[in-house]
This record gives sequence, structure tokens and C-alpha cells, in this order.
Amino acid sequence: MKYRIRLVSTTRYDAAAPRGAHVLRVRPRDDARQRVSGFQLEVEPKSTGISESTDFFGNDTQSLVIEEWHEHFTFRATAEVERIDGVNFTGAQTAPWEQVRDGAWVSQRIDADSPAHFLHPSRIVRPTPEITAYAAQSYAPGRDAFDAARDLMQRIHDDFTYDVDATDVTTAPADAFAARRGVCQDYAHVMIAGLRGLGLPAAYVSGFLRTLPPPGKPRLEGADATHAWVSVWCGDAAGWIDFDPTNAILANESHIIIGMGRDYADVAPETGVIVTSGKQALDVAVDVTPLG
Amino acid sequence: MVELADPAASILTDYAPLDGVYDELMDAAGRPRAHWRPFVDALARLGRAEIARRADGAARRLHEAGVYYRAYDRDADQAWPLSSTPVIIDTADWRAIEAGVIQRARLMEASLADFYGAQRLVSNGDVPAAVVTGSPDFLRPMVGAPPAGGRYLHFYAADLGRAPDGRWWVLADRAQAPSGAGYALGNRIALSRTLPETMHELDVRRLAGFFQTFRESLASRSAPDSAGVCLLTPGPYNETYYEHAYLARYLGFLLIEGEDLSVRDGKVFLRTVAGLKKVDTLLRRLDADFTDPLALNPASQLGAPGLAEAARNGAVCFANALGSGLVESRALMAFWPRLAQRVLGEDLLLPNVATWWCGDPAVRDDVVSRFDDIAIAPSFLGHRNPIFSRGAVSGRDLAPAQRDALLDQMARRGGDFVGQEMVKLSSTPVLNGDHFEPRPFQLRVFLAATEDGWTVMPGGFCRVSSRSDPLAINMQRGGLAADAWVISGAPEGYRSLLPSGASPDLRRSMGALTTRTAENMFWLGRYLERADASLRLVRALAARASERDHDAAAVSEKLVAALQFWGAVPDPEGEEWSAADAAHHAMRANDAYGAPPVLVRRALNAASAIRDQLSPDAWRIIKALDRQLTEGASAPFSETFDRAERSLRELAAFSGYAHENMTRTTGWAILDIGRRVERGLAISRFIGRFGVGDTTPAALEALLELCDSQITYARRYFVTASPAAVADLLIFDDDNPRACAFQAARLRALLDDLPTSARADAAKTFRESIVQLEASMTGSTPDRVDSDFVFKVDQAFLAVAGSFSDLYLADQAAPR
Repeated sequence: MKYRIRLVSTTRYDAAAPRGAHVLRVRPRDDARQRVSGFQLEVEPKSTGISESTDFFGNDTQSLVIEEWHEHFTFRATAEVERIDGVNFTGAQTAPWEQVRDGAWVSQRIDADSPAHFLHPSRIVRPTPEITAYAAQSYAPGRDAFDAARDLMQRIHDDFTYDVDATDVTTAPADAFAARRGVCQDYAHVMIAGLRGLGLPAAYVSGFLRTLPPPGKPRLEGADATHAWVSVWCGDAAGWIDFDPTNAILANESHIIIGMGRDYADVAPETGVIVTSGKQALDVAVDVTPLG
Repeated sequence: MVELADPAASILTDYAPLDGVYDELMDAAGRPRAHWRPFVDALARLGRAEIARRADGAARRLHEAGVYYRAYDRDADQAWPLSSTPVIIDTADWRAIEAGVIQRARLMEASLADFYGAQRLVSNGDVPAAVVTGSPDFLRPMVGAPPAGGRYLHFYAADLGRAPDGRWWVLADRAQAPSGAGYALGNRIALSRTLPETMHELDVRRLAGFFQTFRESLASRSAPDSAGVCLLTPGPYNETYYEHAYLARYLGFLLIEGEDLSVRDGKVFLRTVAGLKKVDTLLRRLDADFTDPLALNPASQLGAPGLAEAARNGAVCFANALGSGLVESRALMAFWPRLAQRVLGEDLLLPNVATWWCGDPAVRDDVVSRFDDIAIAPSFLGHRNPIFSRGAVSGRDLAPAQRDALLDQMARRGGDFVGQEMVKLSSTPVLNGDHFEPRPFQLRVFLAATEDGWTVMPGGFCRVSSRSDPLAINMQRGGLAADAWVISGAPEGYRSLLPSGASPDLRRSMGALTTRTAENMFWLGRYLERADASLRLVRALAARASERDHDAAAVSEKLVAALQFWGAVPDPEGEEWSAADAAHHAMRANDAYGAPPVLVRRALNAASAIRDQLSPDAWRIIKALDRQLTEGASAPFSETFDRAERSLRELAAFSGYAHENMTRTTGWAILDIGRRVERGLAISRFIGRFGVGDTTPAALEALLELCDSQITYARRYFVTASPAAVADLLIFDDDNPRACAFQAARLRALLDDLPTSARADAAKTFRESIVQLEASMTGSTPDRVDSDFVFKVDQAFLAVAGSFSDLYLADQAAPR
């Protein structure tokens, strides 16, 4: 499936800022699951230069500095992405989850895809006893790793209420869990916290979801902004499998991947340092248009 | 055998080593060890009373030397509690320690190079990946980027303990930003004055050479046209800030904070009053994660955006390199014996505490089976497990509920835990009252990288337990600090830190003044002078509060109006302020931006940010003034006059100390500019309110009093105050330190003490503002002074302040 992606983000500052330094992570990933072409990025005000790089986890970054007084910062990213079908996991048997867990802890791999990076507490996601106990209900002894993860995903979807007003980008998983409310970011963080609490590797994936559903299908939650879901390590044979707890589905060709990391902090579309005293207001618009 | 002298015996009669523990002072037969004998004999000669007296002196000297630490939860500075008794280490023991920690530093360095480089130790199976990835100090942005300067570690420390069999063990590694070397230096200086004869007799090795080597090794990395080596501190709120300030002064490095740095085009610069200076070497006391809000912790306000990228690209050398803290993980202790073989092809000379990492299920099961005889500790720093709120635990000490919780966590996430052998520490004597007691201790030793290896500080920082329990895991925070004396095998020549030749880095570091420091200097000067003016108003008002005379009452009204205009009292809510209430309120107000207590607190805040620049006396005066004003908040009106008077005296004392003791000429000049501008503003405003227009002799007298010029006036004019004569004295007389013209002349003179700015336009504007200020007065005569005239002078002083800020302090606000 081929898409045209458009992301427009504007941050308005109450007080003008003399300078801003930003790191963007908005270019969809090129990997086995998708091909990216024609990526374009415009920023406003004009930057003195955008330097492109790839971070540890293989996500593309654009770093830029603005050297003029400004009251807003806008970036527009566009790209065409071909999402390749059939690469993702389809549901064959994986190993018992304890075996997957023990293998991950003694793994000899330390490349970006290694499960070892995704076992530990990260900036936003720290396992809590409550979330771990909740997740444990899906993990009976000896249960198949894939099966258990799918069950956990379904339970989070069923037990949580999608609510854009309940949380913000800084909400801790523990708070979203206590409220059983939030958006895709919170669903993903809670699921990751549960998995890591059980000693299992789990990663955060940011991306887009096609805006308009195929004919006859319901519109998916999270399509009007950037989306997030969870990649679960299912052992050396199956590797990483992507679960979308917000919609209780496995990620499919509607899911366009931007970045992968330990939690939102690793893949935030924009990280910035600006010198301003006032408040900031963020406005993001996303369009994902299927191309034939 | 040495005959035990009677006095020595009497000093140690009640000294009883702990059971099953190695005692540093006494051997198993209850005799002092040979290398302690001169010390014991010397103490015996001094006698108990003299020992106690000298111990008090040591504590005081430590405080005077500026050796403090600051507890995050407390406001006050804490003096380091120094034991008056050193830990004495003999030559053979020290050689073993030295060889062991040098080997360990080599191992750490080589392992860091692998963990951030080829990562073969992981792919070959020598260390599980999760042991590396679990450290919050494994900084992924630094993978694949060899550090500038060719090494990760420039400074490394190890905590050691001595086992009952007499062998030294490594208890912990410090590689992030090891603290304590400055305190060790402070301890040494204090103790060397307490027991000078004994130190000499014992041939205790000196520390200066170590610091000299360290300084030279870092300074040699710094290019001549750069800002020199800068010590990057998290700032005054950090608990070891005073050590940072102390070390920076001792080593001749510039003490800076993240906001002093700016990264442009991938290079790191220091914002100084003379413009941007390139920075190539940073001695880092800020944890790596906080150095860069863009690439690392976005919540950090202590670093500078772009620093990590600059480090990645080799544009700046961090000592230690970002990510070095990785080797502090307890989990790695389980693997060092094996890694020593793999990396160095050697066995560890100094063993570390036997450690088992529970991420391997088989190892975990074994640890669980020995749960009651073993210590359990978190594998990684940064854990938030409440079970370890006071450090490692022993299974047998846990309450049943905690025990179950811990075993449950170990079953789920074994890799978060290590098992460690329970270590018993050796004991060393501390003075308690007039007798010695054995107390367990740990020794921290420090190593500095040299061009071709490592050098070890011959001494160390000892942490002595406040209790007699020898189990290492029961060592609590607190306790005493002690100096470590290493007995020299051969006498040493004298070495001092003073440079042997002309040392360029020393000169540079005296010259560079950051804009942050300049800004705080400027505002310190302004706030103090503003407080001075405010206090003068209060004093004048308090003195007149009981006068009923018509003219005097009119003056009081004017004084109240001035206090209101100054912001020293809020605008009245209902009725106008009475003279007494206004004066009384101003001295206690915390709700008015121009009240003396508020202004002094602001001055104190500015001063605390530049403590390393102020003499201890100047600092103490501001502290005392602040305390005086805060504590007197409930004083009755009857004390108002005296309180204002006393505060004015303290301010005068500050001026004296600052004048006499401040050596950094640029900083001093900037402080003085702040004071001159503010004093000029106060005088012109006083004249505008009391000296022009419809004035009275009573008002003119008040004006002379506010400007401290009554005596000069009386001597010079022998007449009752006339407006023209007062104006002459307070505006045009450039011999009167409280005249506007005097301030203008000082400002012009101070121009020469300021560094040349790269910004020619702004420099010209500043210079012209001073010319304008002088011109505002020269064109007139005393009899033509009216309110328009003084307003012009007032505005001219403001213009000087504004153009000064634009020139030297504006960097924060201007595009950069």
C-alpha cells in the first residue's frame, strides 16, 4: 500500500524567543517493512541549516537551529511511503514466555534491534507493581509469548477509555493506568511497563495511521495525529512483533512507521530547547492519503 | 622489640579492637603497629587535653578553607566532620594498593572503549548485553564515537576496604565524576596544621604533586587561544559545589555552569564579557545525562544544547567522557575478574567484592539459595526500589513482607539484582572525647591519567562509620571524614602548585569572566547600593517619626512618598502610611520589591551564584546582613532606627572587604559599575524630591543626611542649607563620593578596567552613554538646578546601566 504523508506542527510561544535548537524525528523509517521516497521538510522561521543524521535506534533525525527572534516554530514534513504487506508476523507459535524472557536477559546482541535495550526502565516507562500485576494476569506459566501479548493488548484495549483530555505527552504510565484513560501514547506506555515488569523486552513505535478507513471499515482511533504502538520481543525465531493496543490489532499495512525506541522520549517528533519565558501551545495536523 | 613507652600505653589503655576485624592501629597481640608508633608517641607527648584542643582547631580551619558540603534538603552549609586522627598506611600496603588500582583504571578504560566501540566483549559472550544496556549511564548517542583526547577516563576513584585477613578489596568504582579529592586536600591542609611535627616525622607523602600532574595533563590538551580548562559544575545547589569551587581555585581552572556555554556550528564556546571564547576541555562534575537537553535528558536545565553532539564529533574533550559512568554498575563487578583476563590478560591484583549477577537464572537460583548469608544490591544506579533506600540489604535482616517482595522481584527481573559477599571492613582509631575508639572505614583513592599511564594520589578520603558495626552494607551516610597518610619510603622534595614557569592557563583563567558572573556581579552591586538608599530613607524617617513641627512633618511625608516610590512599602490600602508605620513596615517587608530585606535577599542570591569570586569575609557579611534582616522581622518599631543603622554599617563593611580583598579586576570593576550607577540614580532622585522646587531648610537637611554629606557641607559652607550650595555638593563636586559627578568620574575611570568587547557598536554606545552622563552635568551651574535637570541626570544614569547590559550581559537575550 502506498501513501502520501503530511505532518504539520506549530508551536506558538507567548513570549518571543531569540533562538531555538530542535531535533526532529519525523522521517518515516526505511526498513524491511516500508520504503520511503520524496521526503521533504520545511521549517519556519528559516533555519540556518538542517543536518540529517541517524540515531542509535536507526531513526532519522533532522537537527536545526533558528537564529532569529520568533514567536512560533512550524515544521512541515511530507513523504511518500510504500508499506509492504505480509512482512509482519501472522501468528505462528512462539516459545513459552519465560523462555523468551530468560533468553533476552543473557542475549549476546547489543545492536539497535537487540532485546537487551528494551528490558530496562527508560526515561518515561518505569514498571510499577500495579501494572506488572495487571499484566501478569495474561501470563500464565508456560503460555506462548505471542498469545500472551495479544491477550494483554486486548485487555488494555477493553479496560481503557480513549480520552484525549485525560493525559498529555508527559503523563507517566502509572497515572494513565490508574485512570484507565488516555491516548495511543498512554496505551503503549502501559503495555510496555507491564511487559518489562514481567522481564520481557518491549519497544515503543511511533508512526502514522491511515486517516480514512478502507470502504466499509470503521475509522481507527488515533488517525488524526501521530500514532504509537508497541513492539514485543517474541524470541530469536519470531523477533519483534507489533501490537496496537489502542485498536487491539496487530500493526498492519495501515501503520506507517516513523521511529522505534524505548519510549516516547526516544522518538518524540520534536525535541527543542528555546529561550522563552512564556507558555507554549502546540498544534499538530496529520494527513495520510492512500495513493491508489 | 620496641619498648612501649608509658605515655603511649596510657593513651591506648582503653582501645579495644573489634572482634574478627583487622585493626589499622593495633596488631593481633594488642600492640601498635610499627608505622603508627611515631603518631601514638607524638599524641602521648601532647597529652589528651592538647589533642582535643588541636582537633577543634582542625575543624575550624576546614571551615575557613571553604570546605563544606551542602545537603539538598537543608539550607545551611555543613562543615565536613573531620576526624582529627588520620588513617596511616605503610609503604608496602600502599604499593599494593597503587598497583591494584592502576590496573583497575586500565581495565575500566579498555572496557569502556570496547562497550562504546567494537562491543566484542558482549558479542563474544564475556558480558551479557543486558549488563551494559541496563546502566542509565550507557549513553547510546556516544556509541561509535571515540572521545576527543583519546581516552574515556581522566580521573578515576575506587572505594576500598580491608578484609579481616589484611587484604584490600575494591568495594565500588567511581568514573562518572568522582568526588572527594578536593575534600581530601582540605582535610590534609587542616590536619597538617594540627599535627605538623608528626607529619614531618612520619614522612607523610604530599598531595600537591598529584594535583600538579593532573592539572598539567588536562591543561596540555587545551589550545593556547581557548578559554583553558573549565570545571563544569551543576551549580550552588549541588551538595559538593564547594568542592567544585575549591578545586577550581586550587587547580586554576575556571568554574562554569552549563548556561555559560554555547554550542555553535558544532563547536563549544564560553560566553565571556570579552566575547565568545572557544572551549576544548571540560572537567565535568555534572552527570553526563544532564549535559545536553537535546541529545540526552530533555528535562535538564544544567547543560547546554549541542554539547553531546560536539563531544561526538570530537570538538570538546570531557573529563571524564560522557558515558564513563557505565563502569560504576554493580552488575559489572560480577564480570571484572573475567574481563581482566580477556582485556588485559591479567588477574586482578586487587580483588573486588565477590558479586553474582542474577540475570542468569542459574546464578539467581544459587543466590536465592544463600539468601540469608549474602548481601543483595541493585545491579544498576538510578534504580528506585524502596527496598534499597538505604543501600544493599542482607536477606536475614529483611522483614517477612519485604523478603517476599524482594524474592518475587528477583524471580521476575533477576537482572536488576546482584548478590554480593558480605564484607567486613577494618577499623581505625577515632578520638571520642579524650579516648580513642575503633571504627570501621572505607578508603577512596584517586587516580589521574597521565600521558603514558596513571598516577595515584598518595593519600585519600576516608569515610569512617559513626557506629562500630563492621559490615560494609551497614555503613551509613554521615559519620566522619578522615585523612589518609601514606608513609613515604624516601623523603620527598617540596612541591607546590605554583607554576614553575610562566603558565599561560593560569593567566587565562584569571582573565576570563563569564557573562553570568558579570551579570551577578553587576546586580550584586546594584542591589546592595539600592538597599543602602532604601535603608537611608528608613533611618531618616524613623528619626523623624515623633516630630510634630510643620516642616519636619512635611519632610516625613516626602520620605514616605519616596519609600513608596522606591517600592520599599506597598501602596497603602486605605489610609495613607504614617511615618512610623512606613519605616517599620519597610524593615520587615517581604511583599515590597524595594524593601531592604528583599533587596538584601536578592543581593545574597546574586552573591551565592558567584561565591568563588568573593572573599569569605565579603560573603559572610552578606549572609549576616540577610540573617539580621530576616530574624528582626518581628522587632517593634522602637528598634527600627537601630536596625537600619546597623544594616548600613554592615553594608559599609562589605564595601570595605570587597574593595580590599577582591583580586579579579574585571569582576570588581563590574561590581563597582553596578554600585556607581545605582548610587547616581539614588542621589539624583533624592535631589529631585528634596532639593529642588519648593524646598525648605528641613528638606535640605534631610537630603544631606540621605546622601551622608552633612559634615562635608557644614565644614564647607558654614551656613544653613541653601538649595544651590546643596546642589553643588551633591551634583557637581567630584571630590564628594556621594555626588553625581563623582559617580560619573568613577564610571569613566572604570572603562579602562573592562575587557575589550568584540562588539564595537555596543562598546561605542556604552562609552558614549558615560560621555552623555558627564555632559548632562557640565553644561550647568548649581543655581540652575531644577527638576528637569535632575531628571536628565537620572535618565543619563539609566542609559549607562542599559548600555552596559547591552554590551556585556545581553548575550542571553540576543540571538546567539
